[in-house]
Parts: sequence; C-alpha cells; structure tokens
Amino acid sequence: MIDFVTTLAIGTAVIMGYLSVNVLFLVWLERKVSAYIQRRLGPMEVGPQGTLQTVADMLKLLGKQLLTPIAADKAVYWLAPVMVFIPTLCLASLIPLSGAEAFADQPYGLVVIIALSGLTVIAIFMAGWASNNKYAVLGGMRSVAQVIAYEVPVLLAALSVVLIAGTMNLRGIADAQAHGGGGLPFLLLQPVAAVLYFIGITAETNRAPFDIPEAESELVGGFHTEYSGMRFALFFFAEYTNMLVLGALGATLFLGGWHGPWLPGPVWLLLKAYALVAVMMWMRWTFPRLRFDQLMSFAWKLLIPVALVNLVVTALVLAVWR
Amino acid sequence: MRLVRELWKGAWSLLVGMGITGRHFVRRSVTLQYPHQRPDVSKWGGPIELKTFPETNTHDCIACNACVRICPSECIAVEGQRPQGSKKMRATLFTLDFSTCSLCGLCIDVCPTDTLQYSTRYDEAMYTRPATVNDLLGPFGDDPYLSGKLT
Repeated sequence: MIDFVTTLAIGTAVIMGYLSVNVLFLVWLERKVSAYIQRRLGPMEVGPQGTLQTVADMLKLLGKQLLTPIAADKAVYWLAPVMVFIPTLCLASLIPLSGAEAFADQPYGLVVIIALSGLTVIAIFMAGWASNNKYAVLGGMRSVAQVIAYEVPVLLAALSVVLIAGTMNLRGIADAQAHGGGGLPFLLLQPVAAVLYFIGITAETNRAPFDIPEAESELVGGFHTEYSGMRFALFFFAEYTNMLVLGALGATLFLGGWHGPWLPGPVWLLLKAYALVAVMMWMRWTFPRLRFDQLMSFAWKLLIPVALVNLVVTALVLAVWR
Repeated sequence: MRLVRELWKGAWSLLVGMGITGRHFVRRSVTLQYPHQRPDVSKWGGPIELKTFPETNTHDCIACNACVRICPSECIAVEGQRPQGSKKMRATLFTLDFSTCSLCGLCIDVCPTDTLQYSTRYDEAMYTRPATVNDLLGPFGDDPYLSGKLT
C-alpha cells in the first residue's frame, strides 16, 4: 500500500513537473514559430532568445486576481479548469516512454486514452455553461459538436492500426513496428489512417484551422472568455499538454514509438512527438479557420467515410493475407 | 472521380500554403530590435540643430534673428551679445519649441551663415510641455568667441 502511494506521488510529481516545463516550452515555441513564419523575431527580451518570457507570463498569471462573474454557476465554474486538467494528466501517464518505462501500462491503453481525451470536452462545456456568457456557451457547444465529430475518424484510424498490430496495448503497437514485428512504421502501411489521425487530433485539441470553439474574431475567447489568472492558465496548460500527448500517441501509433537507432527510447518518442507538434503549429500559422458548417461536413461527409473504407480495406487485405 | 480530383486539388493547395509559410520561416527576419538597434535615418529631417563647422569647431550663429522673423509658428527664440572687439554678434540663447514646430525648413533656408540644419533625431518623446523646448546651444558649452579664445 505504501509502495503504491509513493509510486503514485513520485509519478504525479515527475509528470506534473515535466508537463509544466513542456507547456512553457511549447508556448515559447509557438510564439517563435509564428514570428518566424511572419518574418518577425518573436519574444527576445526576457532571457536569451526570449526563453524566459513564458516563465514571466506564468508568474504574471499566478499573481492575477481570480474573477468570478456574478451570474456564474460558481461550483461548476470553479470545477471546470480542474476537470480540464486532470484527464490530460492521466493521458500523459499512459504513453509508453520506452520498452520498460510507462507510468501506467494498460492492456487496453489505446481505448483508455481515447476515452479520457473525450473527457476534456465535458470540462470545456462546463466552463462555457457555467460562465453564463453567450460567447462562452457558444464556444462550449461548438467544442462538443466538434469533438464528437472528430473522435470518430481518430478512433477508426487507430482501429486500422490495431487490426495490423493485433493488440490495443500501446507498447505492443510500438513493438509491432520494430524489427521484431512488422519492421515498418505504420505511417508507411497506413498512410490514410495517419493523415486522418493527424487531422482528427488537430481538431480535438481545438487548434487552427479547427479552433472554432475559441475563435477570437467571433467568440472573444470562446469557452474561457470569463476565466482569468491561473484558471485561464489551466485551460492553456491543458491545450498544450493535449497537443504533446496526442502527438506522442501519434508517434506511438504511426511512427514506431520509442524505437529508433542510436538514441535512447524516451528521446526518440519525444523527438517524434515534438515533430508532430511542430507540424501542428506550422499548420496553425498557415491555414485560415474553417466555417462551422464546413468543419462539420468535412468530418461527417469526408473523414468518416474515408476512415470506414480504410478500415474495411485493411481488414480485407489482412484476411486475404493471413 | 470529380470528388477525388477536387480533394486532390484542395490537399495540394494546403501543401502549397505550407510551402509558402515554410519558406518564410527560414528567411531572415525583418524586425529591428529598436532600442538596441537603430535604423539608418540619414535622410530624415528631424528638429533643427546648429551645425558645427570644422574650422572653428563651433556653430556660426550671429543672432541675426532672421529665423525668428521668418518662422511661421514662432517657435524659435534667439538672443545675442557682441563679444568685445568684434563686429559680429554671437548667440547666447537659441531655443526651439518643438511642440509647435512644423519642420517647414524656412529657418534653414533663410540662415545667412548656413549654420542651421535638420538633425536626424526621430524619436522625440517627452512627458512635460517644457521638455519640448530644445536648447540648441546646449551641446556647445562655453562659446569660444564670447570667452575671447577666438576672434
């Protein structure tokens, strides 16, 4: 029992610490990427190349007053930032860092991850609803509709990978792409599923071009319009952590996870995950935001049929092959 | 078939867009880190200043008041004094109220000794109204004519 508690405490502390640093880094990276794409320099003043800018921002947010609107549903309003944060923390613990290291190695890890990442949307809707603000409610409802639509192609894309790997254990999926298993990363065997998955996670993390739940030009800030200080920072934290975790999941599913020459496993996994995150940032600063009906018809009329066809074709090919 | 072609076209246009932003990403930034780096403004006409002539290492304002008279915004004030044993006056006060100056340059054109010119200062900012008054003689210190070092 004591052993379990200490493991839990140490694991939580390590993951929390890493994720906090990761968020600071990703926000800095996002600002730098956007700046370089627009041929600016981005943050330069605080620390070398502005690396400490996000630390300063975080300190500022910590010191800010936590405002609660008078008409807000206080309990739900208070609970939403906590709720948005906890699933991402659980998600991070499920990613296998290498053959031996994962904080929680589940036989059905993929299902758990996809189920947990769906939880975030409940918190977002709670935030939108409890704020008692029309823009926040609109943002929350958009987020629900969007995540329901885009979870399906993500799941179907992951399923076609599961069909080939023959397991839902993330470690097993990664091993199936190494020399012992199929030998090829599933990106090559399942290019359609990889593209579908990538589009899906971009939408699930509410990132441009699918960032309509927080479309600044239409909804002020969307679901987090009324949030200030550290509560707002928690939404930010959750968004960027989600990016990394779903990027790491993408790396596990399609890029061979921690398998790679020369470098140790966790380094490879993080390199692949950050590469996916960098592409997401690149996309954000390239593409304009979709209109809401375009977003929905893109998911239901294109992504889901393609994902279904891909799944059936994969199953047929496998049935004939074996 | 048409759907596939349109899909391909759409996806290709996205890749083209990412190619454009990718190219801009690796190009050199055009930002100037302003307080640390300053742009070349040698062609800029800022508030007027007194020229330093290399022969005398000082200005050549004779307090003739031509600039004061021609100034349409009456923002220049000049006072002068005649050094002992000299025929020419020397300026003892030359101020420019930059808050009313329109940078028209008439004072520069009318100056008989060509001692006025535009400066290249472009970031004039101040907190009080008196601070907008520039003392043009300030940078010169003691006047060598008035102290008798030059005649």
